[in-house]
Amino acid sequence: MADTTAKTASSLDEMSPRRRQLAEFWFYFSENKGAVIGLWFVLALIIVAVLAPLIAPHEPYQQYRDAVLVPPVWQDGGRWEFLLGTDAVGRDILSRLLFGARYSLFIGIVVTAIALVAGILIGVVAGYFRGWVDTVIMRLMDIILAFPSLLLALTLVAVLGPGLDNAMIAIALVYQPHFVRLTRAAVMSEKTRDYVIAARVAGAGPLRLMFRTILPNCMAPLIVQATLSFSNAILDAAALGFLGMGAQPPTPEWGTMLAEAREFILRAWWVVTLPGLAILITVLAINVMGDGLRDALDPKMKRS
Amino acid sequence: MKKKMAFAAALLAATVLGGVANAKTLVYCSEGSPEGFDPGLYTAGTTFDASSRTVYNRLVEFKHGSTELEPGLAESWTISDDGLEYTFKLRQGVKFQTTDFFTPTREFNADDVIYSFERQLKADNPWNKYVAGASWEYSAGMGFPDLIKGIEKVDDHTVKFVLNHPEAPFMADLGMDFASILSKEYADKLAADGKMEQMNQQPLGTGPFTFVAYQPDAAIRYKANDSYWNGKPKIDDLVFAITTDASVRRQKLEAGECQIYPYPNAADVQALKDNKDLNVEEQAGLNVAYLAYNTLVAPFDKAEVRRALNEAINKKAIVDAVFEGQAQVAKNPIPPTMWSYNNDVKDDEYNPDAAKAALEKAGVKDLKMKIWAMPVSRPYMLNARRAAELMQADLAKVGVTAEIVSYEWAEYLKRSSDKDRDGAVILGWTGDNGDPDNFLDTLLGCTAVGGNNRAQWCNKEFDDLVKKAKQTSDQAERAKLYEQAQVVFKKEAPWATIDHSTVFMPMSKKVTGYTQDPLGIHRFDNVDIAE
Repeated sequence: MADTTAKTASSLDEMSPRRRQLAEFWFYFSENKGAVIGLWFVLALIIVAVLAPLIAPHEPYQQYRDAVLVPPVWQDGGRWEFLLGTDAVGRDILSRLLFGARYSLFIGIVVTAIALVAGILIGVVAGYFRGWVDTVIMRLMDIILAFPSLLLALTLVAVLGPGLDNAMIAIALVYQPHFVRLTRAAVMSEKTRDYVIAARVAGAGPLRLMFRTILPNCMAPLIVQATLSFSNAILDAAALGFLGMGAQPPTPEWGTMLAEAREFILRAWWVVTLPGLAILITVLAINVMGDGLRDALDPKMKRS
Repeated sequence: MKKKMAFAAALLAATVLGGVANAKTLVYCSEGSPEGFDPGLYTAGTTFDASSRTVYNRLVEFKHGSTELEPGLAESWTISDDGLEYTFKLRQGVKFQTTDFFTPTREFNADDVIYSFERQLKADNPWNKYVAGASWEYSAGMGFPDLIKGIEKVDDHTVKFVLNHPEAPFMADLGMDFASILSKEYADKLAADGKMEQMNQQPLGTGPFTFVAYQPDAAIRYKANDSYWNGKPKIDDLVFAITTDASVRRQKLEAGECQIYPYPNAADVQALKDNKDLNVEEQAGLNVAYLAYNTLVAPFDKAEVRRALNEAINKKAIVDAVFEGQAQVAKNPIPPTMWSYNNDVKDDEYNPDAAKAALEKAGVKDLKMKIWAMPVSRPYMLNARRAAELMQADLAKVGVTAEIVSYEWAEYLKRSSDKDRDGAVILGWTGDNGDPDNFLDTLLGCTAVGGNNRAQWCNKEFDDLVKKAKQTSDQAERAKLYEQAQVVFKKEAPWATIDHSTVFMPMSKKVTGYTQDPLGIHRFDNVDIAE
């Protein structure tokens, strides 16, 4: 072990700084086996999502009326054309799960992007200017944080009307205070550092100071928070779908599929279990990956 | 000392064991919480099961398992020749229940009858607005305020109802839940104590069971009314264990936590039937599920468009996928077990090609519509979302793009009755009194537009037939009018009629004497349970 470390360290010296940073990151990341498995799974999921129309055996909306509730192929009565069975109106579950991966990733990306961008903007402003601006913003965020997140999202969707778009907006709004708080804290601690003062003395304006000088040095915790929000967003969107407030049928969104199949839990386990498993594995993989990211990015966790 | 202890223990054991052996408790896993306990205020069957069918009686009652009437609190009645005066001879010696919150001092009499109805009819009655937002929806929906001219007390045990015009279904109406008889003495005491709202929380009547306690969303407890005029019920205690999820209800029944439950999942019925310890009773429900177009909005204002859409929908597939085949495809707005059902009416055949051609001929292209799917499971439509998805796929085949929308149940009912509603609504109806009027006029008459008439459909020909039938007393003649009305309905197609379902009631083999009720209510006064 000590030997490999020494070898990697020596080869690191010969690289350009950026590549060196990346290699160092990978070194610490790959220390965590779970994180690597999670990463591979997420990559596979992305490929599946992109290629869904090519690899799915059936159209996700096509109802085969002669093949209602066909069990998976390894069970009695299973059919090879429906590998994971069909649901109550005769749609192929495998195809729906593959297309569902698209929705889940899309939800994760959109929600995290909105929350991240909005959160960073507001957080940097609050952290940089302090004073009454900070107080107003932070009290507002405290109010949002005071509600249980799913409950608040549910209320927002109830006001906006059920649907996938509104569900994403609601979830993004609920998650954005976490980013504001993180950014603000990081900006406040960075702001008094020497390099910032140096930049200011050199005549940098507030915008440049905020976004070019300070922000890049605050990114590590934000990236970790973003991966966690990514999986939480998928989970919350599934929960909203399950409660009938998210994606509307016949969208093959996993949570909606789960909700539609609830009554079959004793009669046809595959209709309920498979979307549930899909959600579980995806969220677990992203969380484990996020864990590894934190280990790799957080300087305090590094062994020198 | 030791002896004494042993004796005490034995005594204790004896009382405990004795208590268990003597008390027969029936636990019913009910499907939801009641809205309240005053049946006049509400319309949901869940509420009626918990109030009017346990605690209260009516002047006339439906026989168990039928829609025929039998004497209830009225022993006999006479109807004047012009059909305007109904005189009821009231039963004597009927006692109101004695509970820990009220002890009655007098027996049931004419004052109670007058109180029970007048509070629903007269706006100046102090009890008319005793709960915020009280609307007496049922009695208003049945047109009672316009129908009843007055209620007179002839003597302590005779009451006379005077009507403004003849109304054939009037007797059947009096057997309905909203016509339950409350105690005026109890009402007066509550009014004197300034606790009027308690009428809706702690009910007290003449019925087979006495209300004991209600824990919201958990359980309602009753005990048998020992002095019930029709004989004490065979069970001693009745518990409604409120369990909203049908899968959980099944688990509870199988674990013996309850002995009977309503509305099983269609997917569970076969497994329940296979269980040796259980009985599953089934009965053709007196119900209909439908998809109501909004006939006030183009292009659904044209009958040929509606008929074309009806042809595009594969109803058999809905019955198979939603009910696992345990329902029948509907062609008329009333169920086949009801008198005056017109079996000669021909149903729209499932024919996507013809539907497509008909739509083209009507000049409808690229039609986009909304399908409203109810968020809850009702006996006539177990899973409206699934039905809506099937319709959506069917409609896509004829070039119609359908979007499925849904709202929370109370909101759904409210919004779907708006006249300018966008889209077709999936809804249904279970008969309240066994009279065709309760379907045809209540759901499709002109007076119900903006209310129960979700198609917002007012057709003169249909309405005249139904109104005439309402005022005719000869049943054969009424049947003829209703049969004609069904022909008009099919021609105009304000709805796509979907199904009449079979209603299942799984129960433990220990339960005896339960009869399923065609009106969809659950009554336990004849039920016994084996040890």
